[in-house]
Amino acid sequence: MQTFKFVSAAAALASTLGLALPAHAQEVLIWMRTPQASEAKALKQIMTEFEAANPGVTVKLDTRSTDEHKSALRIAATSKGGPDLYYMWTGLGLGGDYVKSGLSAPLDEYYKKYKWADRVRPLADAYSNLYPPGKHGVPYQVNAEALYYNKTLFKKAGIETPPKTYPELMVTVGKLKAAGIPAITFGGSVNWHVMRLMDAILETQCGAKTHDALKAMTVKWTETPCATSAFNEFHKWASDYMLKPFMSFDAAQSRKLFEAGRAAMMLEGDWLAGQLRSETKEAENFGVFAFPTGTGRLYGFGVNLYLNPYSKNKDLSAKFLDYFISDKVQQEHLGAFGALGVNKNVVHKNLDALDATWVEMFPKYNASFVNGDQGFPLDVTTEYFRVINSVAGDTMPPAQAVATMQTFIDKRRQ
Amino acid sequence: MADQVYQVVSARTASDPAEGFSWRGAWHAPLTQAWLLLGPAMLIYAVFALYPMVDTFVLSFQTWNGLTPHRGFAGLDNYAFIFNDDPVFWLALRNTVIWTFLAVSIPPLIGFGLALAVNQQIPGRNAMRAIFYLPVILAPIAVATMWKWMYDPFFGLFNQLLTSAGLQGLIKDWLGDRQVALYSVFGAYVWQHVGFSMVLFLAGLQGVNQTLVEAARIDGANRYQVFQHVTLPAMSTSITIVLVLSLIQSLKAFDIVYGMTLGGPAQSTQMLALWAFTQSMQIHDFGRGSAVAVVLLLITLAIVVPYMLWRMKREEGQG
Repeated sequence: MQTFKFVSAAAALASTLGLALPAHAQEVLIWMRTPQASEAKALKQIMTEFEAANPGVTVKLDTRSTDEHKSALRIAATSKGGPDLYYMWTGLGLGGDYVKSGLSAPLDEYYKKYKWADRVRPLADAYSNLYPPGKHGVPYQVNAEALYYNKTLFKKAGIETPPKTYPELMVTVGKLKAAGIPAITFGGSVNWHVMRLMDAILETQCGAKTHDALKAMTVKWTETPCATSAFNEFHKWASDYMLKPFMSFDAAQSRKLFEAGRAAMMLEGDWLAGQLRSETKEAENFGVFAFPTGTGRLYGFGVNLYLNPYSKNKDLSAKFLDYFISDKVQQEHLGAFGALGVNKNVVHKNLDALDATWVEMFPKYNASFVNGDQGFPLDVTTEYFRVINSVAGDTMPPAQAVATMQTFIDKRRQ
Repeated sequence: MADQVYQVVSARTASDPAEGFSWRGAWHAPLTQAWLLLGPAMLIYAVFALYPMVDTFVLSFQTWNGLTPHRGFAGLDNYAFIFNDDPVFWLALRNTVIWTFLAVSIPPLIGFGLALAVNQQIPGRNAMRAIFYLPVILAPIAVATMWKWMYDPFFGLFNQLLTSAGLQGLIKDWLGDRQVALYSVFGAYVWQHVGFSMVLFLAGLQGVNQTLVEAARIDGANRYQVFQHVTLPAMSTSITIVLVLSLIQSLKAFDIVYGMTLGGPAQSTQMLALWAFTQSMQIHDFGRGSAVAVVLLLITLAIVVPYMLWRMKREEGQG
């Protein structure tokens, strides 16, 4: 009898605990690069709210520095493990590498189920369509880069309004030079910073179609005259209009020089608006305009959250993605993931002049051209950096630059 | 020790195993004790040093992007690429050779001079020894950051000093001008490594027999002759150690270059160790990165092993 009582009590306790605990405790694990403070705060709140709305579900975020994040993903990939969702830039040498290696689960089914295409900005959605036939990743943030300018220095050089065409831009930099003002600043030590100017000039000189073909390596650089003229133009900028010297300092030092009024312009991303507000007392002294390539495409890149094909919680991960890009979440955390956000239904309110310009600028473009280091495979990117820096440093003639690029492309492993 | 081992083994084999074998005896046998003490270290060495070395050698004949488990066979393609088609490999090799030549000559020379100086009975010599040695204990990446700021073209110490001295003509973009960038980085390397050579030379100087020095002086030798015929021969072991360690350190120079220039501008400060890392961990072409690493290993062995053998023979001859 005693035994029966004990077993009954134990069974009752077990069933009570069973009711109290969720039947299937599940976890969504996300890996990403170390977020900025405001971004981290937003993510924490989003995860907590998702957990509250889905009892028994835990969302865990593991963050690492950019290089460690990439390495950790590669190590995880070989063991068919890793996170459920991971943060990755969408370019060919980054996200593209993962998609092509089968490390991203196509999301077409979830795009239909949750009607994500109805709420994602076309510019951001384009990054999910980069690697057909499937749709890969859900937009996490969409960034663009444009020319920030110092209004005081423009005025000092007699420039009334920002240029709207490339010839006007050349007149502008000419006026700045005549006034003894370095037109633009770059940090040469990090390679990708100076590269932005070359990317923009290639787009301007070659047009969208040829530029894309050059980056896709489907046409020969040596047989495309605009490539040589772009290197010539780039060399002219490096010789005449850049704040010098620039090869030994990085993008952050370049930004400090721009903020200090040592150069009139900087080709920088939408995130600079926030930095100018926090690092200077006169953010209103700065304006921003798109690099006038004349192709109707905005310079920028996207970042997606990709779904790991080895995830054991694909449906739950998709549910989290749906929550993340929902109107409510994106509206509530507007600005935490870039100036614009990936949801087109959000309403921007009380914007300062810089953010307002960005918000007006983004919808004007339905297409973009990506940064060279995202458009090329990694080995070609490394050579592209070397060639650009050599031209900028006067150690490689522009005519030789295209030949050097093509030689490397021809000999690389396919 | 060999005799003891023989005795234990003989005892075990000469008698009946059931009666003669003793777990206690086997446990206390010197050979068992030696293996027990060496085992963990050898296991760690095998897992974390030998296995990666062998795997790197194997990888140098394969293609692998680090993403998929599959590794393709490449034969000698990786070596053919780095020798024939890689636009950076020969530049990195040239830089490594220049760097190595400078690193085995300049820091040891300065270190030797400093050791001779702080070996004298001068006030504050212990403090000076500590000050000269201090940079050695700093992390190379910290040294790189510090020197990078000193080389800053706008706000750096060197250009400020040159401006103050009215020598604006000598102002340079120390890390951005490919003609001087490698030597600028080397300046920071010298600052950090001189103390290392100094301490080893100082230890060698402490071992110079003072009786011999005094005898030479009594025999009429001047200071230079004492240095040449007594001090230097007594320092030969220290010199060998300093040169070999400097050589190995210089061939694998990585962190200070990475911290100061990332191999730029336009790969002009690229080194073999850094290029192996870049190929593997940034371009994710582990096959080519491993091929560069194997070449670096072979160069190191080709220089260090003959030198060590030559020194050993010479010392044996002297002994």
